[in-house]
This record gives sequence, C-alpha cells and structure tokens, in this order.
Amino acid sequence: MKITNNLCLLTHNGQSETLSAKPGLWEIIVPGGEETVLSALVFSGDLSVRVVLTEPGASCRLKCVYLAGGDLKSRIRFDVIHRSGETVSDQIVKGILTDQASVSFEGRIRIPRHSQKCEAAQNHRAVVLTDQASVTAVPELEIYADDVRCAHGSAIGALDQTQLFYLMARGVPEEVAKKVLLRAFVRDILDPSFETYVDEWMEEHV
Amino acid sequence: MTKEPLLEIKDLYARVGEKEILNGFSLTIHPGEVHAIMGPNGSGKSTLSNVIAGNPAYEVTAGHILFKGKDLLTMTPDERANSGVFLAFQYPTELPGVGTALFLKTALNAKRRFEGKPDLDAVGFMKRLKPRAQALGITDEMLKRPVNVGFSGGEKKKMETFQMAFLEPDFCILDEMDSGLDIDALRTVSEAVNVMREPHRSFLLITHYQRLLDYIVPDYIHIMVNGRIVESGDKTLALKLEEKGYEDYK
Ligand SMILES: Nc1ncnc2c1ncn2[C@@H]1O[C@H](COP(=O)(O)OP(=O)(O)OP(=O)(O)O)[C@@H](O)[C@H]1O
Ligand SMILES: [Mg+2]
Repeated sequence: MKITNNLCLLTHNGQSETLSAKPGLWEIIVPGGEETVLSALVFSGDLSVRVVLTEPGASCRLKCVYLAGGDLKSRIRFDVIHRSGETVSDQIVKGILTDQASVSFEGRIRIPRHSQKCEAAQNHRAVVLTDQASVTAVPELEIYADDVRCAHGSAIGALDQTQLFYLMARGVPEEVAKKVLLRAFVRDILDPSFETYVDEWMEEHV
Repeated sequence: MTKEPLLEIKDLYARVGEKEILNGFSLTIHPGEVHAIMGPNGSGKSTLSNVIAGNPAYEVTAGHILFKGKDLLTMTPDERANSGVFLAFQYPTELPGVGTALFLKTALNAKRRFEGKPDLDAVGFMKRLKPRAQALGITDEMLKRPVNVGFSGGEKKKMETFQMAFLEPDFCILDEMDSGLDIDALRTVSEAVNVMREPHRSFLLITHYQRLLDYIVPDYIHIMVNGRIVESGDKTLALKLEEKGYEDYK
C-alpha cells in the first residue's frame, strides 16, 4: 500500500483487519477478558475511535502514532467510555510533525457516576521539527465517579538537541541521526507491521 | 619535532549564551602525545571539549582549530568525528529507544561511508565488537539495552571508553573519565587507553586527580584557569598541584 492522503492504518489485537485508506469513525466494544489493543498509524485526515468498556475487567490500550508532513491536516479523536466499573483504559499517542502540517488530538475519557474503580490514562507526546508545523492536544475529561484513577499529560517539543549532538559526535550525519531518534521515539508503541510505512515516510520527510 | 601537529588550537575564545568561557586558549598536540589538563571546577575544560567536538550550544567568537592541518571549526560534528576526533563525555547522554548495538553499527558504518568503504557485515561487526567489549567488561546484556539508559555512572564511563576502542579515533578527549569509576574499573579503563597508545594517536585527558595519571602517564600536563592555560609542564606538575591546589593561579 502506498502512503497517500487520508491514509490511516489500524490493527485490532494485532490483526490488520481494518487496514484502510478511509479514515472514519471506528467503534469498538470491549467486554471483559483479554486486554484489547488497538494500534493506529495516521498520516492525515480524520480518525475517530470510540471505545466502550462494557464489563468489569475490560481493558483497552489505544496506541496511536501520527506522522504529519507537507501541508496536511489531521484530526484524531479518541473517545473512551467506561460504561462499566472496574475497567481500564490507556491512550498513548505519539506524533511527529514537519513542514506546515497541523494536527489536533482530542482525547476524551468518560466515566459515569456508577462506574467506580476505573483506571484511565492518556498520554500525548509530539516532536515538532519545523516552526510552521502546529499541534494542539485537548484532553476532555468527563469523570463523574469519585473512586477512580485518572492520569493525563501532553508534552510537545523539538527534537532533543543533546541527543542529536551525541549521535553526531559519534560520526552519524544529521539526517541519519534524526531518523534514528525519531524511530526510537515511536518504536515502543508502533505496531511492527507499520514499520515499513514509517521508514518510507521518514525517507521522504526527514 | 619534525612531525606536523595533529591538533593546533590558537587563541580560542568561546561562550555559552552571554558568558565568555574560553579566553585565548592555545594548545598544540603532536601525533602520539598524551596531554592532561587539570583545572578548577568551571574553568572551561568541558567547554573546550565540546567546542572541539562541535557542540552547537557553544559559540566560538575568535581563534582557530586545525586538525590534521584542516580547519576544524567549519566542519559539522559528524565530519569531525569521522576525521578522527572522539570525545568521551563527562556526562554521557542517554538515548531511550536506541539499542546500543544498533548505535555502534550506525556510527561505525557512518565512518566507513565517510572513508568510501562499504558497510561492515554482521560477522565483521561482531568480530570487532566482542574482544573490545570483553576487555572493558561490557556485557551482552548492556549491549542490548538502549544507549546509556539505566547505566550507573561508572558503567556510562566504561561505555564511553568502549565506544572509543570500537571506533578507533586518532584523537581522543577523555573528559573526567576517572570520575565515578571504582578502583578496578579505573585500572581496566586505563589499560584500554594504554593499549590504544600508538605513534599516530593522541590523547587529551581531563582530570581532577593525580591518581589517573599514575595509570596513564602523560607527556605534558597543563593547568587551565579561567578559560586558558596558565602553566604547562611534565608529569611532576600534578604532584605539585596535589600539594598546593590552585591558590597560586587565582
Ligand atoms: N550550557 C551552559 N549554559 C550556561 N553555562 C554554562 C553552560 N555550559 C557551561 N557553562 C558555564 O561555563 C563555565 C565552564 O564550564 P565547564 O563545564 O566548561 O567547566 P569545567 O572546567 O569542565 O568544570 P568541571 O571541573 O566542574 O567539570 C561554568 O561556569 C559553567 O557554569
Ligand atoms: Mg567538566
């Protein structure tokens, strides 16, 4: 598959059943039992994922990497609904932006009053390579139960100059060093089946 | 001496932000020589190291550095490294997510490409890596971890020395390599340096302690205060310093 506008890839529990060139709304119902893992790679366009945790013991991990270049715009929305108590959700989003790209990430966590003893986490990190690129992260927390644990954070910054210098001081040219660091940045949450797409994107944009 | 200098620093001025740190620093190092720099905290030793390695956080405002007769200051950090400059950092950087083996392979192949050679294959890579890792007590487990992440202070220093042995540079700056090393590690690391002493290779040791200089015996010792060398001598200078401190130079 070629990287095109509006491309977004999804895997559900390791299976790329929803490999798609058409982003849209994905709704996933998570019952109790095994942890559900959803992995996304977004290049541009709108991706909206709603996750509903329906039974005690249900848990879902949402991993999303976005790579935004050119003048493309993306909007990523996660909506995690803890319909049942004793459920766990974890959203991890990492992005790389370059050129004039812009991205907005809206991560919603909803825990109604009756859903006690839930755990919800959301973490967003982005590396911005140019002054013209922009990113906004908007957490929306609608938490009405009182016995829950919820953590969220967002960090947006440039590539770490100390790390870049360390690699260059070992002889690695700047463009190669940047790629090494950016791959390392997304690796821990990237579905292995997406790696070639990431490499392809970096060849073109970094 | 008829040999051309390996490194020639002339009247160097450099600063970080608004602060002038190097104030007319000059030093000439010939191939095969070992020089040591000692000096009080904040005198600019690490700044000098970083300026030689090309850290963009430091701005050179005057003076020049020639390396193998070429203008070092116009080169990028990677060009300097591939030309033969190596800095073992006082505070090595952690690279989360970057495996140590991949890091070493990337660095070595960058140098080979720079020299117009093909990349080294996996067998050649291991052949080069194993004996050097063994000599410095770098375990397979450490090589699997991300670069410097979760390493103890001493392990980081050993890893810097190991990278130096692995990349075989011509000019090695060791910025407080001895700080944080236990007695055995100090001996191991010194031995690794001594093994590398060759007629074409030079060393610049930065240290606070005379003890290191018992293990790696320098040809020259320089005392650096306020961004320049205030006195140079042979190895007996370290003994004098040990006794009197820096009072006379301030
Ligand atoms: N990035 C920086 N930003 C601000 N000041 C700096 C920076 N780097 C160095 N300095 C200052 O420059 C001076 C020289 O620092 P440098 O690290 O070169 O000293 P040093 O001789 O290596 O000291 P030490 O023996 O403690 O390692 C110090 O006063 C230090 O605070
Ligand atoms: Mg220092």
